[in-house]
Amino acid sequence: MPEISQLLPLIPALPLAAAMLTAVLGPRLLRKQSHWPTVLALALSCTASLMLLCKVHREAGQEEYERSGYEKIVTLYTWANVDEAYESDLRLRSPEGTVVISQGRKPLENGRLRQQSPEGATVNSRRDDSNKDSLATAAPLGLYNSEVIPFQGFTSLANDCRPEGTKKQGATIKNFRIEIALRADPLTAVMLAVITFVSTLVAIYSIGYMHGDPGYWRFFSYISLFVFSMTMLVSASNFLLLYVFWEAVGLCSYLLIGFWCEKPAAAAAGMKAFLVNRIGDFGFALGIFLIWTTFGTLDFHDSTAMGVLGKMRLASPEPIVNGAVGTAICLLLLLGACGKSAQFPLHVWLPDAMEGPTPVSALIHAATMVTAGVYMLARCMPLFAASPFALHAVAVVGGLTALIGAVVAITQTDLKRILAYSTISHLGYMFLAMGAGTVLGVTAGMFHLVTHAFFKALLFLAAGSVMHAMGGVIDIRRFGGLRRIMPVTHWTFLIGGLAMVGMIPFAGFYSKDAILLAVAEKFSFGNHVDLVYQTLYWTTFGGIFLIAVYTFRPFLLTFYGKDTVIPPEAGHHAHESPLSMTGPLVILALGAAFLGLYLEKTGGLAEFLAGTPSVAYLNRYPLAPEPSHETLESLHSSIGRQSTVMVAAGILFTIFLYAGSRRRLADRLAGPMKRLGLYQLSFGKLFFDPLYRLFVVRPLELFAQACAWFDNRFIDGSVNLVGILPKLLGAALRPLQGGLIQFYALAMILGVLIFLGVLLL
Amino acid sequence: MSPEIALLNNYLIVGAILFGLGLIGFMSRRNMIVMFLAAEMMLQGVSLSLVAWSRFRNDFGGQMLVIFIIAVAACEAAIALGLVTTLFQRSGRLDIADWHALREANQPAFVDEPISEETSTEEPLPTLARAGVAPQVPPVKTDYRPNV
Amino acid sequence: MHDPHIILILTTLLGAVGLWLMLPRGTHRGRSVGIILTAVALGAGASQLPYLGDWLTESIFGVLAAVTVVSAAATIAFRNPVYCAIWFGLTLLGTAGLFLFAGAQFLAVATIVVYAGAILVTFLFVLMLAQPEGKAAYDRVSWEALLSAVLGMVFVGVLSMAIVGVFTAPREAKERPVAPPAAKELAENVLVPQHVAALGTELFGKHLIAVEVAGALLLAALVGAAVIVAQGKMEEKNERNAQQKRD
Repeated sequence: MPEISQLLPLIPALPLAAAMLTAVLGPRLLRKQSHWPTVLALALSCTASLMLLCKVHREAGQEEYERSGYEKIVTLYTWANVDEAYESDLRLRSPEGTVVISQGRKPLENGRLRQQSPEGATVNSRRDDSNKDSLATAAPLGLYNSEVIPFQGFTSLANDCRPEGTKKQGATIKNFRIEIALRADPLTAVMLAVITFVSTLVAIYSIGYMHGDPGYWRFFSYISLFVFSMTMLVSASNFLLLYVFWEAVGLCSYLLIGFWCEKPAAAAAGMKAFLVNRIGDFGFALGIFLIWTTFGTLDFHDSTAMGVLGKMRLASPEPIVNGAVGTAICLLLLLGACGKSAQFPLHVWLPDAMEGPTPVSALIHAATMVTAGVYMLARCMPLFAASPFALHAVAVVGGLTALIGAVVAITQTDLKRILAYSTISHLGYMFLAMGAGTVLGVTAGMFHLVTHAFFKALLFLAAGSVMHAMGGVIDIRRFGGLRRIMPVTHWTFLIGGLAMVGMIPFAGFYSKDAILLAVAEKFSFGNHVDLVYQTLYWTTFGGIFLIAVYTFRPFLLTFYGKDTVIPPEAGHHAHESPLSMTGPLVILALGAAFLGLYLEKTGGLAEFLAGTPSVAYLNRYPLAPEPSHETLESLHSSIGRQSTVMVAAGILFTIFLYAGSRRRLADRLAGPMKRLGLYQLSFGKLFFDPLYRLFVVRPLELFAQACAWFDNRFIDGSVNLVGILPKLLGAALRPLQGGLIQFYALAMILGVLIFLGVLLL
Repeated sequence: MSPEIALLNNYLIVGAILFGLGLIGFMSRRNMIVMFLAAEMMLQGVSLSLVAWSRFRNDFGGQMLVIFIIAVAACEAAIALGLVTTLFQRSGRLDIADWHALREANQPAFVDEPISEETSTEEPLPTLARAGVAPQVPPVKTDYRPNV
Repeated sequence: MHDPHIILILTTLLGAVGLWLMLPRGTHRGRSVGIILTAVALGAGASQLPYLGDWLTESIFGVLAAVTVVSAAATIAFRNPVYCAIWFGLTLLGTAGLFLFAGAQFLAVATIVVYAGAILVTFLFVLMLAQPEGKAAYDRVSWEALLSAVLGMVFVGVLSMAIVGVFTAPREAKERPVAPPAAKELAENVLVPQHVAALGTELFGKHLIAVEVAGALLLAALVGAAVIVAQGKMEEKNERNAQQKRD
């Protein structure tokens, strides 16, 4: 079995190679066979990811990683390495150049940190011996955990051993070093497995779905590039690299959403996704700048300097970052995550992204794009753990988004749009789980991410199957009773729907309950009366009912009904989809049905994820008093019971409203809602788009027009003026060149005269 | 002022006057041949002052320069006359103002100011016929030629 | 006590106006006034020249200089180019006289032989070839006569001022021109009886390479002139042939 250091670079490298191969050979050579490189590369990549998962699982289980977590860094290439690049007066570097210690921002009133321990010296001397490479490739760092390094003492020690002359009143000369470093830890391994698995199935599905499209090769090239970007994003061990591929993912989503760029709506949707993401990316970039100025490094891991999320920093007893700076960093990172993961208030791009081909929607919603924000939050959880306000913000954003998505999804008539809003809603649940800021919360959020990837990909692909059969029609009011002609799609959609609403024993049930448990844990025990979490808990608990309604409404309208209603656009397509499309559906359905049960009963995922350094760190902040295992279990089972009742009620309510001939009942119920304006509010997507247009887009347009006017008149004018000056000068001098020899002689003599005059006078 | 210095002074001033008159002629006259005469006159002015300096410095250097000036003037005259002949064959005139192709584009050409017709009573000067063409002798003069 | 500068300036201006009136302007009016003004200016200028030591020298130089300058003025003033050429011949004679007076016997002869004998005659031939019937308009009118006259005379004035200033202005002893060697010494060099022999020795000794280069230059000029004229002839011929074909 290959080593981790061999597997890890392979996972992104294969899709990249496929993307380049398809881009080069696709239009001329491969044409209708353009899917082969992508499918093969993704399948191999998926295999490598699963092997990596096993490998990481085996290694992380070792005892030495139990407390600090497991990580392995693979450094591919040093991107930038400038010795003594800049001077910093905020931080001190010890002479051996391995440790960067925050001094300027250290809360000195924290007496605990001032204690000087004798072990400080031992650690220092030991680190002297170890070279940088062994640190970078993660030598057993666990041993540092037993020796808590008192950094204040260490600093003074470092100050002492610095040679005189290089010291300059707290200022140090520092290196600038950016490495292309990939990391393998449980979080990354899980993300890689999910991404590559779902992407492979989507790619196989696309063979059938995109068949005959003029941009066939282009599509598969983009897909590979997308997967490459996303795998690099989750395996990057550096904020800069993370940001680069964060942008790359945005670019790929732009390309894919606007894949049918001849269609104005698709082009606009691609642009909208890109621009809305820019807002989030802007915040993310600012957050990275702030991290740089605060920590002096962008690495997650410990390399030549102490990494932001490195084991040494995590092992120190002091909070990673404190005060307003910490909160600012967290909020900026949250803004970035909101953009990429379509959270309120930046969620508006996701529904419009439905203009892209359906496999792209599945890819974006399940695997490659929107999970990036959740992943980033999980990765940076140690930063958030230090700032209760930021955690609250994450939870509130998540809860609000969950509610908004659910409310809007209820009344939409576009099957894909309903699913899009359900994605927004479920991502809100994940954010809520992250907002809990506990090990339970993070693992629950990741658990939901995994199950969601399966059932959402399944639902989208099933919706794509319906759309394919209906000749591109996606309005649920225009077809019905499709279960008779599309049995496979019907059953897989049903499984996906049950998983999404969280019906026992489908996948969504376990992950959703885990989230609810994580939130409930925050306020249910001891004297933790946290109103924010309590409100959010009950709101989202109520949201479960809405989930059931908005999931089963399109399901019932699409697949049930007395008559089989088929729109005329369908033509001869109105039959079950080919095997390349139903095959992935079945596989995903199996996952959606049993994955949650498997992961919950073995308890493996949560335990495995807790082996990530960032997650393991959260054990530092246990709830006080820590709830016992039994009380937690009882809470869990009660939540399970309540939520099942809620889901069942929701499903029955929907069936009551929509099944069979009682459809008029729904219309009758909609009447008073319409009178209250609630229906319009939901149907109009809470009017986010018009509001943004009025308050953001329009003023910006006006500003841009003003700028354009200024540019045309003043900037261009001044440039033109400079251009005109030589022309005028030339026009003034041109009469001198009259062509008459006498005049030239005269001018010459005039010059000689002036020369003589100056000489004489 | 000693006589030698006075002589040098006078020679230099005469040279300057010759040079200046040549200059005026070159600038104002429009007949190409007269312009060349004027240019030769300027050379004469320079030669004069060189010779004066040669005498004053008791050195042949100045006279050497004048010898070469004469040589170069001969070359110049040959080339210039060739050019003048060619130009005259093209335009039929010796007017330098006909040749102003060096002027900037879009600049107006030199235009003669209109002058009154010359009412001359002078005899026309003799002219040479072109080579290979029989000269046209004025009939009036042939009247008394047989008597000569 | 008169200021020589004022006289110089006045002389210059008088000469400029006189020359302007003398230059061809398309009319005969004012020519005699111009002649008078120029003569007055010449006289005034001559009155300012320093005395040459004895009356014989003074008178010989005066005559030669007057012939030279007057004929030069006539050269540029006459409207008929043939007269111009003839007056220029007189200028050359005057110059040759001045050369002789300065002791440059060979140059005096060379000027007469080469300039007056060869160049000027060639000019006259070309003139006779090219002269159209009657007086051409371009001979009867000058280009910016006043401007050229003023500018040229100002140039002469400034040069004279410089020359006179060098020899008369009170200066440091070092800056004064070196006093000329005694006539005795002069007799040994430039003014020797075997002047031409000495000149030849100098020319073909010290300046041999320059002589060769000058010879090459003359040859090149000869060939160049021939080519230029021949080309003109060729074009003319071609044009004539084309004309005949058209006819």
